[in-house]
Parts: sequence; C-alpha cells; structure tokens
Amino acid sequence: MLKPQSMSRAVIVGHKNVLNKTVDTLHNTNILHIEDFNESESTFKIGKPFENAADVSKKLVKLRAISSYLGIKPKEVPKQNAERLWMELDEKLSALESELNEKTDEKGALENRLKDLEALQKDLEPLTGIPISLENYSGYESIAVFVGIVKEDVRSAISEITNEFELDYDSQKNVIALFVKKEMEQSISKVLLEFEYRELKIPKLEGKPAELISNAEQEKTKILSQIEAIDRDITSIREKYSDFILATDEILSIESQKSEAPLRFATSEQSFVIDGWVPSKDFEKLKTTVEKATNGHVFVTEQEVKIKEEEKSIPIEYDNPKISRPFQAIMDLYARPRYTELDPTVLVFIAFPLFYGMILGDIGYALILLSLALGIKKFVKIEGLVPLMNVLIYCQISSLIFGLLYGEVLGFSLASLHTEHGVVEGLIPGFETITLFESPIAGEVITYPIHRTHMATTMILISIIIGIIHINMGYILGFINEYKKHGLPAAVLEKASWFIVEIGAGLIALGALGYMPVTIGAAVLLIGVVMLAKGEGIKGPLELPTLLSNTLSYSRIAAVGLSSVYIASTVNLIAFEMLMPEKFGIMTFVAIIVFLIGHAINTILSIIAPGLHSLRLQYVEFFTKFYEGGGKKYNPFGYKRKYTEE
Amino acid sequence: MVGEELTTMDPSGLKAIGAGLAVGLAGIASGLGEKDIGTAAVAAMTEKEEMFGKGLIMTVIPESIVIFGLVVALLIK
Repeated sequence: MLKPQSMSRAVIVGHKNVLNKTVDTLHNTNILHIEDFNESESTFKIGKPFENAADVSKKLVKLRAISSYLGIKPKEVPKQNAERLWMELDEKLSALESELNEKTDEKGALENRLKDLEALQKDLEPLTGIPISLENYSGYESIAVFVGIVKEDVRSAISEITNEFELDYDSQKNVIALFVKKEMEQSISKVLLEFEYRELKIPKLEGKPAELISNAEQEKTKILSQIEAIDRDITSIREKYSDFILATDEILSIESQKSEAPLRFATSEQSFVIDGWVPSKDFEKLKTTVEKATNGHVFVTEQEVKIKEEEKSIPIEYDNPKISRPFQAIMDLYARPRYTELDPTVLVFIAFPLFYGMILGDIGYALILLSLALGIKKFVKIEGLVPLMNVLIYCQISSLIFGLLYGEVLGFSLASLHTEHGVVEGLIPGFETITLFESPIAGEVITYPIHRTHMATTMILISIIIGIIHINMGYILGFINEYKKHGLPAAVLEKASWFIVEIGAGLIALGALGYMPVTIGAAVLLIGVVMLAKGEGIKGPLELPTLLSNTLSYSRIAAVGLSSVYIASTVNLIAFEMLMPEKFGIMTFVAIIVFLIGHAINTILSIIAPGLHSLRLQYVEFFTKFYEGGGKKYNPFGYKRKYTEE
Repeated sequence: MVGEELTTMDPSGLKAIGAGLAVGLAGIASGLGEKDIGTAAVAAMTEKEEMFGKGLIMTVIPESIVIFGLVVALLIK
C-alpha cells in the first residue's frame, strides 16, 4: 500500500546446455521481468534464437492469416491439453489449410466466372434490339460487317452510295448492324464516321443475344447459390476449427516467445547470462524453481540494487489491497509511479468515488448506472473494461449514499420542503424536511435531506474546504517524496513552505476580520514565500496563485452537481407540468417520451461530467503536488494461458 | 413614461441576465481554450495512443473557466 512492490535484481548464469530448460522454467513461473541485453561495450554477444524459431513463426503467421480470414474472435472455451495439441498440430493445421484452400479456390473460380458473365451481359446488352444470331456476324469472305453505335439512322446516307446492303437499325439504342460488299468497306466507313460510329465488340458465341443474356442470368443465380453454399462450408470450417485455432495460436505464441527469448540474453561461447527483475518476495521462489529444474546447473544471484542510479530501469508492479485495485487503471491512464515514489492508488480509491458521489448524488441515476455497469461487466468481455466498470460501480455506491443524503431521485426531491415561497411537495407523502441548524453563511439552513438547490453557497464552501484538505494531503505526500529523494532541508523548503504560506494567508484573513494585527499574518506569509523561492527558485513564487485557483477549482463539486440537478428537474418540469395533460391523451405519450429522452441524456452526462471533473481534480489539483510518475510496467516473461493447459 | 417603466423593472430579471452572461461568456471562453488543446491532444493521440490520459486532462483544464462562471451564476442567484 502507498508503495510499489519491492523489486530485486536477479542474474541467472549457466551453461548453454541448460539454456532451453532455463527458458522453459522461467516462462512457466512467469515472474521474471527480463532486462534486454545491450551488446555495445560488452564482450558478450546477443544470443541466437532456438532452432525451432523459424518453423514456429512460420506456422504462427499461417495460422494468424487463416484466423483473420475466418474472423475468429476470442471467446470462452474449455481449456485444451497442450501436449495433445502439439501432437496433432501439424496434421490438423495442414488439414485446415487444405480444406480452406479448396473452398477458397472454388469460391475464387466461381467469382471469376461471375465476373465474366457480367462482362458478357454488358457486351450483349446493346445487341438485344437486333434479331441476328451472333454467329452470323462473322465468317464472310466477300461481305464486310459493321456493328456499332451511331448518332442516328444511317439508311439514307448509305443508300446514296450503294443499293446492295442489308441494314438492321435499333432506334432505341441507336445500334446498327450493316452488311455491305467488301469493296465498299472504305467508303462506307467514311460515311459512318460522320455519324459518330463506334464499333461494338461481338462475343464469339452462337445464338441470339437476348437468349444468351437470359442464359447468363440463369447461370449467375446458380453460381450465387453455389457461392452461398461454399460460404456455409467456410462457416462450418470456422465452427469446427475455432477452438483449435485459438488454442494453437496460444501455444505457438508461447513457443515463439520462448524460442526468441535468447535474443534478449547475453551469451558467450559456452554460457549465458539472463538479467532481470523479480518482486523481492518471489526471488527465493525463482531461485529454487530454476535451480531445481536444471539440477543446480545454473547460478541465480540477487544483485545489489543502486536505487538512485537504476530507478528508471526498475519495473513497477502495484502493491494494493484487492479492493482498491480497479483504480490502478486510473493511475495507469496518467502514469505508473516511479520506484521510489508513493503510490497514491489508495487515496484515489477514496477521493475519486467521494467526489463523484458528491457531484451526482441521485438515487435514480445511481441505480440506473449501477445496473448498467453490472450488466456490462457480466455480458461484455473486453479486456481492460472490467476495472473501469468496477470503478463505475464504486462511484455509483458513493452516489447512492449521497443520494440518500440529498434525498434526490431523478431530480425529484423525496421530502417536501417549506420555504417562504410556499410548500414544495416531495415524492414521499408525509416525508417532511427536518431543519437541523442554521448555516453560518448566507443565511442558509442545513436540513435533512440536504436540498442542494437551496443552499448553493454552503455547498460551494463545503466543496472548497474538502479541496483544501485534499490539496494539503497532496503537499504532505510531496513532503514525504521529497524527503526520501533529496533529504529534509529540500523537503522543508519545497513543500513545507506551502503550509507556511497557507497559515500566513489564514492569519491575514483573521487579521482582516480584526482578531489580530494583519502584520503578523503578512510576516508569516513572507517567510513562506522566501522559503519557497529558496527551495524552488523563481518558479516557486510564480506558482503561488495556483494555490488560490486550485482551491477554488474544487467548487466544481458543488457547481457541476447543481447543474445536473437543474437539468434533471427541468426535464421533469417540461414533462409533467408543461406537457402532461389533465386527461389521458396523445400528449401523455409526448410527456413520457420527453421524460425518457431527457433523463437518458442526463444519465450519459452523469457518467461524463462527474467522472471527468472528479478525475481532473485528482490529476490536476492533487497529483501536481507530489506525483511525477513515468515508471516502467512490470511485464514478466511468461504467458497467461486462456485456452490451453499443460 | 418609458423611464418610469424601467425603474419598476423586477431586479430578479436583471439577476437572471447576469447569471446567464456569467455562464454563457465563460462557456465561450472555455470552448475557445479547449478547442486548440483538444485538437493538439487528438493529434498527439493518433501518434501515441497512451497520450489519451494526459490529452484528456490537458483538454479539460480550461473547463475551470466555465465552472467559475457557473459558481458566480449560482452566487448571483
């Protein structure tokens, strides 16, 4: 808690004979974060991948290509035995490949034929208006044939040159089929040019164009149904092999990771050195398992860690109680902590839902979003979504609690409220607002349930007080971080000086109210500013105004909350008081639709607005006081098996 | 006559106009600020997806302006 897991540097040395065994063991234990070996300035060389590397990656590429062609998606299936998979792999993979190839070849051929038929239909289409069979267009010795598109009828123009001709003209499509004596060909073609003659391609077939087209149409429907059948076959191949593909992808990925691992090690002629990080609590486990697996033929040592020099290369693994773990996702969104830094996940776990709940604070929206989050968590299986849904669930529990405190359901008030403008009825008859005591500011009254809209000023003040507490927690954490990093003097000058500035500001405020001379406060403030200037340089005093703006920034907790209440109650106002008629009628439905759409929009806003603002208060106002981040993710050499087991 | 009517104007109307201006103008200012930052954030995200978190934070920084506007509007009320 509050600190990342302690890491130890492990160095594993051994003879190349046992490299394979060592890699296997390391991969199975899945705890060593391997530090990649850098060849420069070293007498060692990068290791060579194992012999099977090429073969494995070839198979993996083939399998992934098939998998993406078939559109295989991850799913939950019973785990398969890895050993049996390996035995069947080659046979089944080639069977799958040949089955699939056969189908895809067949499909390809059919699709080609389909394209040819379509092209043929396009060629024949203009000829349909002329009742001549295709075979009669060619094969003459003394007759020239012109088939093509013209501007208009050419009969009169041709008859001016010769009487011996045979002409068919399709006036709709402006197509001619003209048969003339061979010796006339030249002069006729000159005449035709004036009519913008364009020659048409005659397919080398027999029969009437119209008949051919309808034949092609019949063949097309036949081919389409054949393609459909093949698609069905491919789907059944997918059904049949999807488990195999998922499992095989897994074992091949594992094998490829293993066989390429030596590329990350240092090797000499006879030996290898593996350098890496392991959580300190797991070091003994690593040592004993590796030594046992190789009969003591490798040597595992723990290197001393020079934290200052090596801080950047130490991988970071969170060390949080299970309940606050979902918030690691929120930390990762910003940056992982560094090794020597405090890990604020637990504080985010408290503050984030607290702010969210204070902003939303509505029983209705909380229940809607809670069931939504639970539903998504149960039915949508996307990696990385579960922690976010858990965060949302925590937030909804918090807003449920605040909802009870505020007595709000979908913008309606549960309790009735007596004000100077009259009585505002609540949803629960007889549930009266209880007056607790008068708020010290703005003449507002604190009641149960808290009517936020009637005590805006008090709410804003409460938010700002929470902000001051939150920011000061940030400075305390900053003080601890700085103390660990640069010692006490630096910590006092850079972080404790902020407290002195705050105390000074407070004393000045008291002075202004007349409790003490203002000069005392001013003197304290000045001391704080000087310390800050000494600690942080010119940057320190320049950052002074952020103290004010950051604190005021927390007023968003009250403001965003109120805006969400107003949106909800405006929807209710429009639906029930403006649209809902006295008697049942069509306007009743309109009112209900307005009510539903309005609240649907406000529900979505209820995730975005409180979520983003609460997140921003963590990231911008809180983290900037102490947090640097930028740690490397702890990524152990290994694999979490989903589809197979050894 | 016109002047007389003006002097009897309901002050709550002027308050509402003031509150509206406070939120509205601050909203425009926030929008202008977020527009540029958002563009840059999206551009950074296309190159490096991990920038989402930082981009989002940078983008909502000017949001404070409209929140201050909203607070002022609430206080006017």
